[in-house]
Amino acid sequence: MPETLIIGYGNPDRADDGVAYHVVNRLRRALGRDTLPPGETGLEALGCEPDSVFLQQLVPELMETAAAYRRLVFVDAHVEGIADELVFQPVDEEFVLSPFTHHLTPGAFLALTGALYGRAPAGFLVSIRGQDFDFHRELSAGTRALVEPAVQRILGVLGSGVEQNP
Amino acid sequence: MSVRKITIEPVTRIEGHARVTIHLNEDGKVKETFFHVDEFRGLEKFSEGRPYFEMPQITQRICGICPVSHHLAAAKTCDAVAGAEPPRPAKLLRELMHMGQFVQSHGMHFFHLAAPDLVFGFDADPATRNVFGIVKANPELALKAVNLRRYGQQVIERLGAKRVHPYFAVAGGVCAPLKPADRDAIAAELETMVGYAKVAVGIGKDWLGSNRELADSFAAFPTNYMGMVDSEGGLALYDGEIRMRDSEGKSLGQFRPADYLEYVAEHVESWSFLKFPYYRKLGWPRGVYRVGPLGRLNVADKIGTPMADAEFKLFKKLRGGKPVEGSLYYHYARLIELVYALERIGQLLEDPDILSNDVRAYGPAKPVGHGVGIVEAPRGTLFHDYDTDANGLLTRVNLIVATGNNNWAMHTSAGSVAAAFVDGNKLTEGMLNRVEAAIRCYDPCLSCSTHAIGKMPLEVTLLGPDGTVLDRISR
Repeated sequence: MPETLIIGYGNPDRADDGVAYHVVNRLRRALGRDTLPPGETGLEALGCEPDSVFLQQLVPELMETAAAYRRLVFVDAHVEGIADELVFQPVDEEFVLSPFTHHLTPGAFLALTGALYGRAPAGFLVSIRGQDFDFHRELSAGTRALVEPAVQRILGVLGSGVEQNP
Repeated sequence: MSVRKITIEPVTRIEGHARVTIHLNEDGKVKETFFHVDEFRGLEKFSEGRPYFEMPQITQRICGICPVSHHLAAAKTCDAVAGAEPPRPAKLLRELMHMGQFVQSHGMHFFHLAAPDLVFGFDADPATRNVFGIVKANPELALKAVNLRRYGQQVIERLGAKRVHPYFAVAGGVCAPLKPADRDAIAAELETMVGYAKVAVGIGKDWLGSNRELADSFAAFPTNYMGMVDSEGGLALYDGEIRMRDSEGKSLGQFRPADYLEYVAEHVESWSFLKFPYYRKLGWPRGVYRVGPLGRLNVADKIGTPMADAEFKLFKKLRGGKPVEGSLYYHYARLIELVYALERIGQLLEDPDILSNDVRAYGPAKPVGHGVGIVEAPRGTLFHDYDTDANGLLTRVNLIVATGNNNWAMHTSAGSVAAAFVDGNKLTEGMLNRVEAAIRCYDPCLSCSTHAIGKMPLEVTLLGPDGTVLDRISR
């Protein structure tokens, strides 16, 4: 069974909402891998350890793939209502009423994966404070400064076993 | 008399950011209800100065979930601006991608949004009245929904190389022909997917059959209807003319997309950023209309595929051939269109031109300078309209999106259901859920292109006579 799938998600066309794209690519470089080719999600070439993908958002058809891993690391932006600039926390299977047709929280993603495919991987969330959600592809200075710390923290998580998830 | 107010914010399980505000009088009864859209997108202004041919890529960024409709409407507009009529094979391929979009969007809406209310009831515990409850109760059904979405996304991906934000349609055609292996892969699963869609139709019809009185009265009100039809008056989703019918089913006319400004105008209210389109010849508010699955089936004379047409005939009998008014019938109409989209995929794959390499035409060196492109998006009629300068840089962009076309209808549906079901003196979650459900019938998409953790899309608030917030749903 493959160990870890890192799932970055967000909208790179809305500035900091796409910070996970930068985290995933910085992480791939740190692991000696190529960054995601333009237009590719990473799902085209799974089989590395860890695997890493970037999507617009969490979607139901990803669950079958995700169910095959022991651990998922979700990477997303968060808004100012959350106090910490960087959030690192385990994710429990938890279905919360979804406000969007296709919007899934990491907890709901895990819960539905477990219900549909018989097992849910362990989950871990890395979220980064976003400050600018306007129509462009540049990260704000504040959010850009959080990319490297987020990558280092993920690398730390990868160095631990699934059972040692913080 | 002073007024109390309820705000529902967010309306759960719709795309985007909006609020419902329900004002109560001193007796606790609903005085009036507003459906507000607070988000200002600014994409039309943002696009000015860009080369027109970038629009199929730019405008699909409006949404990360249903980008194909904007992609294709923009491409059709670029065809006109460039003066480049796409070859027939290119039109077929665009329509094939469009059908993939309908399959994933309609399939997901029904199972994810509509089914929880229908299967568990409007008053069921919200902890179970959701898609997770559906999964728990019937995991096989939930897997069918996931597979319908995956299938629709794969159709898009096989044509556009990407499931989200494909690079495919361009002015004058498409970037690449369909490979035989991709055609065969799409065809291989089609029969299975049609079977899944028939299961969904069965669920929808069973529910409507058992709840006919509610379906006939829930957010039911007379309006005009708008939708695209082909040259024989049949349902059309990619190309055709726009037909209007009134609440009795009488024709109000039919127009070419390029002439839309002669027929459609927009009204502005101070309490919403989203405009209220209406049929210009009837004026505001007599000219308000509904679009989307219900609107399309109410204006069409037939459907060009056998299974969907058989269901369409049953749909038409609901009111003896007159337009169907109950908003819950949007779900039935949506399922009929889901069957149509799958059957239409089969027709397109069998067309001898579908593998042709003749997929691109070129216009004159200088752009024509103006173009209009309309498609039927899953949620309704989508208008794109561009002006450019002599160098092809955009000088004006006008977009009327499907959810905008249904703005008045959603506002009125929320008000209708609030008046019928909300009692401020003994408020229950189920009452407010019905208000949300009325809006969900339209499957609105207000903007889902940002979704950072902690950002909520819409709320329902109940306000008392003195403006005090009595209750708020924000999930």
